[in-house]
Amino acid sequence: MKIILAEDNDILRKSLSFFLESKGFTVDQFSDGKDALDAIEANHYDLILTDINMPGISGMEITQYVRQNINSNVPIIILTSSGVEQTELDSFDIGANEFIAKPVSPAVLLVRINKLLNTRV
Amino acid sequence: MNDKFPIPENEVERLAALRRYNILDTLPDTAFDDATKLVSYICGVPIAHISFIDENRQWFKSEIGIGISEVPREITFCRYTILESAMVEINDTFLNERFKDDPNVTGGFNVRFYAGVPLTTPDGYNIGTICAVDHVAKKLDENQRNALSIVAKHVMAQLELGTKNIELDAQKKIAERAVLAKDRFLANMSHEIRTPLNAIIGFTDLLAQTHLDEIQSEYIDNVQIAGENLLLIINDILDLSKIESGNLTIDSEPFNLRKTLKHVYNLLKVKVLNDVEFNLYLDADMPDMVMGDQGRLNQILVNLVGNALKFTTEGEVTVSVKKTDETDEDYSLRFSVKDSGIGIEKNKLKTIFDRFTQAEESTTRRFGGTGLGLNIVKQLIDLHNAEIHVKSQQGRGSEFFFTLTYKKADSSQIAAKTSSSNNLGELKILLCEDNILNQKLAKSVINNFGFELDIANNGEEGIELLTENKYDLVLMDLQMPIKDGYQTTEYIRNEMKMNIPIVAMTAHSLVGEQERCFSVGMDAYVPKPFKQATLLKAIKTAMNKENEPKSGRRLDLSFLEEMSCGDEDFKKEMIQIFVDRIPEQVTQLQTVFNQDDADAVKRLAHNMKSSLDIFMLTDLSSYVSTIEEEASLGRLTSEIKDKIDLLHCGIEDAVKILKEL
Repeated sequence: MKIILAEDNDILRKSLSFFLESKGFTVDQFSDGKDALDAIEANHYDLILTDINMPGISGMEITQYVRQNINSNVPIIILTSSGVEQTELDSFDIGANEFIAKPVSPAVLLVRINKLLNTRV
Repeated sequence: MNDKFPIPENEVERLAALRRYNILDTLPDTAFDDATKLVSYICGVPIAHISFIDENRQWFKSEIGIGISEVPREITFCRYTILESAMVEINDTFLNERFKDDPNVTGGFNVRFYAGVPLTTPDGYNIGTICAVDHVAKKLDENQRNALSIVAKHVMAQLELGTKNIELDAQKKIAERAVLAKDRFLANMSHEIRTPLNAIIGFTDLLAQTHLDEIQSEYIDNVQIAGENLLLIINDILDLSKIESGNLTIDSEPFNLRKTLKHVYNLLKVKVLNDVEFNLYLDADMPDMVMGDQGRLNQILVNLVGNALKFTTEGEVTVSVKKTDETDEDYSLRFSVKDSGIGIEKNKLKTIFDRFTQAEESTTRRFGGTGLGLNIVKQLIDLHNAEIHVKSQQGRGSEFFFTLTYKKADSSQIAAKTSSSNNLGELKILLCEDNILNQKLAKSVINNFGFELDIANNGEEGIELLTENKYDLVLMDLQMPIKDGYQTTEYIRNEMKMNIPIVAMTAHSLVGEQERCFSVGMDAYVPKPFKQATLLKAIKTAMNKENEPKSGRRLDLSFLEEMSCGDEDFKKEMIQIFVDRIPEQVTQLQTVFNQDDADAVKRLAHNMKSSLDIFMLTDLSSYVSTIEEEASLGRLTSEIKDKIDLLHCGIEDAVKILKEL
């Protein structure tokens, strides 16, 4: 399974990648939203995991673009740090499948990812 | 005055007496209730009460069978009883002219029998009654009457006791307040006196170390001696107040007894007159090292020997120490200070240990001194659980002696003590002190030690400097404007989470202060005026504590463990990124804050949050959340500045710990 991870905090991004890779996923990681979106257009991913606030393009914009422009229904999990309800609602509105509030619990993340991937199969 | 009830002749005084007891409308009291029950038992009556009668009512302090708390004075039987000096007994109210038509006889309480004893104050006023009442006619026998009178007396005694207790309580409060006021006065005075004295002694010390000609040296010597004497007197007074308040304790630290005795001998040898022989005799099998309070032994001996030398113009003064007993745990040592001086009259022997008394009225004029010395010596020896004795003959001399028991020092304790005197290298020290003279003095002394010193004029400046620079140690004055030493230390420990050693410096050395310093998180304590050696020792103590693995911040790496699935190399890599990146980000944060760039502050804070979360630095994470929130509203407030400062310190600590991993 191939996951793309967009997150601008190096330590978090590297940690999440390392964690997911040790759980058997292939992870492409990007710290810039624009680079991530380019990669999504160019490759096939089974799941998108993205932060909201990033340089370049935000996680919201990526989600919107994937749903509306690429017309893909690939599962998208948004990482939110705001803890603001509206952001979470917006995430669903624009077509995200899950949101996870930071700090992200690796175990919870794993469960959510597996759930999304299994329901698709 | 009125026709409803008879007024006693002394009514005004009687009411005043009643009011003195403050008994009206008080809550029930078992002592009175028991007395009422007793009356009911003794007289075999269903109704009994203890009551007090004021201008217009009878109020029941305690009652059985009445069920109300007061009745108008005009309907009471007792309005007549308080006119009498003895018990009033009405065996059958139906046969009594005065009462046979009383509403409470024909109806109401249906009183057939009444016995009442006036409650008479020691000064002779009938303020109330104790009564037995029945619905049937009755006659008390001799014993019952006696018993009723006795209970009345006891009730009065109980009342007296209550008022005396209240008075005593009030007096006690006054006394306690007076003691507190005295303590505070002493503390303040000692501060006021010690602060300038600190400067005088300190600068004299420094001046004495410069190049001086002979006359100048002599002058400086005199200033030094006078300063030290003044300090001794102040210390005496402070010691006394500490002993009084129970705040002086006897240490138990290993020390070299022989050296201490020789030190005292050398110290006082310079004061010995030509015609006096000054000897120190030490028992050959006396131990070298013992556990005890070196400073206090010093003080006792200096006092006693000082006195002996003062009152001896010819002959000899001999200090001798002898081992009198030895067990597995301790040594008993007999100390004696003997002189061939003026001696003490027999009738003065008892009072010489009292405060402010000297054997001769004229002593103070002839020999000086505060009259406190021997009193302190006695109390210090008492605190050692020992006793001081004196033998003296007028004109022949005196001997003061006492036996102290010291625990044996084991070799590990001795080793621990000697190894702690290691070299400190070059330290960078921050001084928080508002007094300019003391700043200068501390600066010279600290520079003499070879350390570097920065000065903050108050606690707030100190905190600012601490966030900007790196220091090895803080010297903290306790009384400062804006933020005092306690507040500053609390801030450093609790908000900044720094475990930098802090040494308290205070001219305020009184009651419980040292404990308070330690309880807010300081590491050592130096009373002012400070001696250079004492200060150095305190710095060493504090620095050695620092070396112990006692960190204010603990890192929780469990989150990182989970992420890394137990991979050590990956964990190290993440730690390295944190160590490399985060302090730099804090610096950036400070920079963009100073540039008023709210947007950049927000972005940086946001980015840092995840990193801090991974290392579970929850307090620091909450700081960046606050910073982010405030900055996203476009507000670069002083709160953000505070949080950035706190962040800076917290990160510094965390990085230090991570680097050591």
